[in-house]
Amino acid sequence: MRTTNWNRFFIICVLASVIAGMAGIQLIRIQNIEGAKQILADSEAYQGINRMIYPERGSIYDSDGRLLAGNEVVYEVGLDLQAIQQPETVASVASSVLGLDYSRVLGYAQMTPGNGNPYFIVLDGFVSKDKIAQFESIKEDYANRSTKRGEVRPNLLGLVWTANNKRSYPEGTLASNMLGFYSFLDRTDGIGYFGVEEAYDDLMAGEPKLVYSAIDPNLLTSLEEVPPGVTVQLTFNREIQAMTEKKLDEAIEWSGAENGTIIVYNPETGEIIAMATAPRLDPNEYWNYSELFPNPKPFNSAISSTYEPGSVFKVLTMAAGLDSGVVTANTTFNDTGSLNVGGATIYNWNMGGWGEVDMTGCMQHSLNVCLAWLGMELGPDRFYSYMKSFGFDRNTGIDLGGESHWPLKLPGDGLWYEVDLATNSFGQGISVTPIQMVTAIGAIANDGKMMAPHVVKAMVIDGKQYNIDPVVVGTPVSAETAHTLTTMLVNSLENEASNALVEGYSLAGKTGTGEIATPLGYTNSSTNASFVGWGPADDPKFLVYVWLEKPEISIWGSEVAAPVFSDLVSDLVVLMNIPPDSIRLAEKSDNTSIVGTE
Amino acid sequence: MKKNLVQAYKQAPWRTQIQWIGIFLLVLIGVAVVAGVYLMISGRAAATGRRIQSLEAEISALEMEINDLKTQYAQVSSAKSLSERAEALNMTLLDPLKAMYIEVPGYVPPSQPALAPPPTVEDISTPVLLPEFTASLWDWLRLQVFIEPNLSAESTESNDTGLISPSPTEVTP
Repeated sequence: MRTTNWNRFFIICVLASVIAGMAGIQLIRIQNIEGAKQILADSEAYQGINRMIYPERGSIYDSDGRLLAGNEVVYEVGLDLQAIQQPETVASVASSVLGLDYSRVLGYAQMTPGNGNPYFIVLDGFVSKDKIAQFESIKEDYANRSTKRGEVRPNLLGLVWTANNKRSYPEGTLASNMLGFYSFLDRTDGIGYFGVEEAYDDLMAGEPKLVYSAIDPNLLTSLEEVPPGVTVQLTFNREIQAMTEKKLDEAIEWSGAENGTIIVYNPETGEIIAMATAPRLDPNEYWNYSELFPNPKPFNSAISSTYEPGSVFKVLTMAAGLDSGVVTANTTFNDTGSLNVGGATIYNWNMGGWGEVDMTGCMQHSLNVCLAWLGMELGPDRFYSYMKSFGFDRNTGIDLGGESHWPLKLPGDGLWYEVDLATNSFGQGISVTPIQMVTAIGAIANDGKMMAPHVVKAMVIDGKQYNIDPVVVGTPVSAETAHTLTTMLVNSLENEASNALVEGYSLAGKTGTGEIATPLGYTNSSTNASFVGWGPADDPKFLVYVWLEKPEISIWGSEVAAPVFSDLVSDLVVLMNIPPDSIRLAEKSDNTSIVGTE
Repeated sequence: MKKNLVQAYKQAPWRTQIQWIGIFLLVLIGVAVVAGVYLMISGRAAATGRRIQSLEAEISALEMEINDLKTQYAQVSSAKSLSERAEALNMTLLDPLKAMYIEVPGYVPPSQPALAPPPTVEDISTPVLLPEFTASLWDWLRLQVFIEPNLSAESTESNDTGLISPSPTEVTP
């Protein structure tokens, strides 16, 4: 009996072992058959999901921390075809809320997924929160609806929405020439065009990352963090920018000019305080770009338009003359009203002679003959060497997308003639951009030091703010020359009782009336009217450059651009909290602070 | 004595069977306990993992919401919007000639606002969740038995040579 039990026990053990062994062998065999690797590879697709995470695009703020470009939530609404139970209900609700064609949406909803058909169809990629609230309300209503026996409760299964970021510009057209725009309609491959959006596109876009997320709960890990793009703080103040744009629009309307540009610049740091151009695009509707800027109209004429500046350029010729020692402020010139250079005759703006005048007089009366003579005295080598030092042979490098410049004609180019030296000396026959002029003349307002113009004040990277330090790009003239010239220009403005003067403030400045070249030669019936000025003269805090293209009420910069400068500076000093000289200089001597109020 | 014991077992074989069954049950209980502990830890780890993912999704949604609210705020307080509201309240632009300046001894004008703190010495980063909360039982055992003792040994060796080598426990958040 005992032996029988042991035998049975032994047989069962052997059988169980054999079965277990066979199962084990089968397991090993299955793992090594031909298709095993394929099965393993296929199974990996079900173990997790690889998702490309696009970081949130960095925001743009003004110098006071006000948002200029940010991100708002929009929703992508689509149909998950596998989940749809009631195509008619889904199509009816989706088409009514989204304003789509019912039959088209129904066609999508009734589609069988697979076999060449998609599993998911996007109905609208940019749906507002309000519309999503409507969907949610309808969904809740359906869920709470009581049904009779046998009646099917309506549902929106298969209609899905996902939140996404969309670039938004809360200020609309304000400073759009500097901001540029981001093509947000292209969700995966959008890029920045023009301005800050283009210049800092890579930094603001951040680094998209492919993130793996396991489905197996045991393999779940914390999702890899995708840091947002770099946020930038700009140098300009929203209120000053808005005021500048308003003044420009008013000036264009008042003068009948075709176009205009105003730049407000800090000569001490190179910061752009305001930069207004016309027209301006609303970057929230960037698809209107080609309509607003038909080729070859530049997006931002302040950095892309080249033109012959006229007499404002005399500031730089005089700077070169003073700095090289060719003339002093007291050097006199006998103006006969004309000067023959290389077979061409140079005349003054009034075609008359002014007799013996000193250099301040030359600037005050804006005498072409005097400045042409000065250019000839300097000679081509010295003159163009100074012009190169002022940066007219290159871009300024301002951190805005779309900057361009016109090459500087130089002796030996083939296109250069002797008369060019004379005409260049008073701003004709040379093409510049407004930002080049501002940067160069900024050196005169800043003790001879030329600063790199820039619009980005600071960057926020990984939650830390990195400030951009001002950069000196050159010292084209000495501090002494800069002070002498500033004093000469203060005196010349005051002596002629210029339209540019602002009561209570000492300002240095120069008018400009540039003739425009046509296929038939130069014409003085339409001009580029401009004015450049800075102040307070003893300690410049701003430099303003006004350029109006082809004004109709007058061709003269002194009559069109100078009053715009004065009007703008009157408001600018209030917004920049710069008291009149009498108060400011008293403040300096008393070492007290002044608070502006009304 | 030994002979008596063998004889006793031969007379009562159930004693041998009970002994075998006892050993089998002991092994079974051991395996069940280990499996139970493993299952419990895995279950909790999985639930925590799901919760982390859910919280991460919530963080992401909240960040989007914050950005959206910032943008909405910027829209309602835009220069154009404020200008229109000011005009509706019959406010007019300041006439610069009417501006009055007051001397305030010791007054320091406010500096421009910063968007974020300046960079400092690099913070020592530590993971939010320590490995003890995320590792499986097996990983934890492996860490305790094989890896950490080695780290301690290396640390001691380094200190012997005079080099500074902080142990992982010295890292503070």
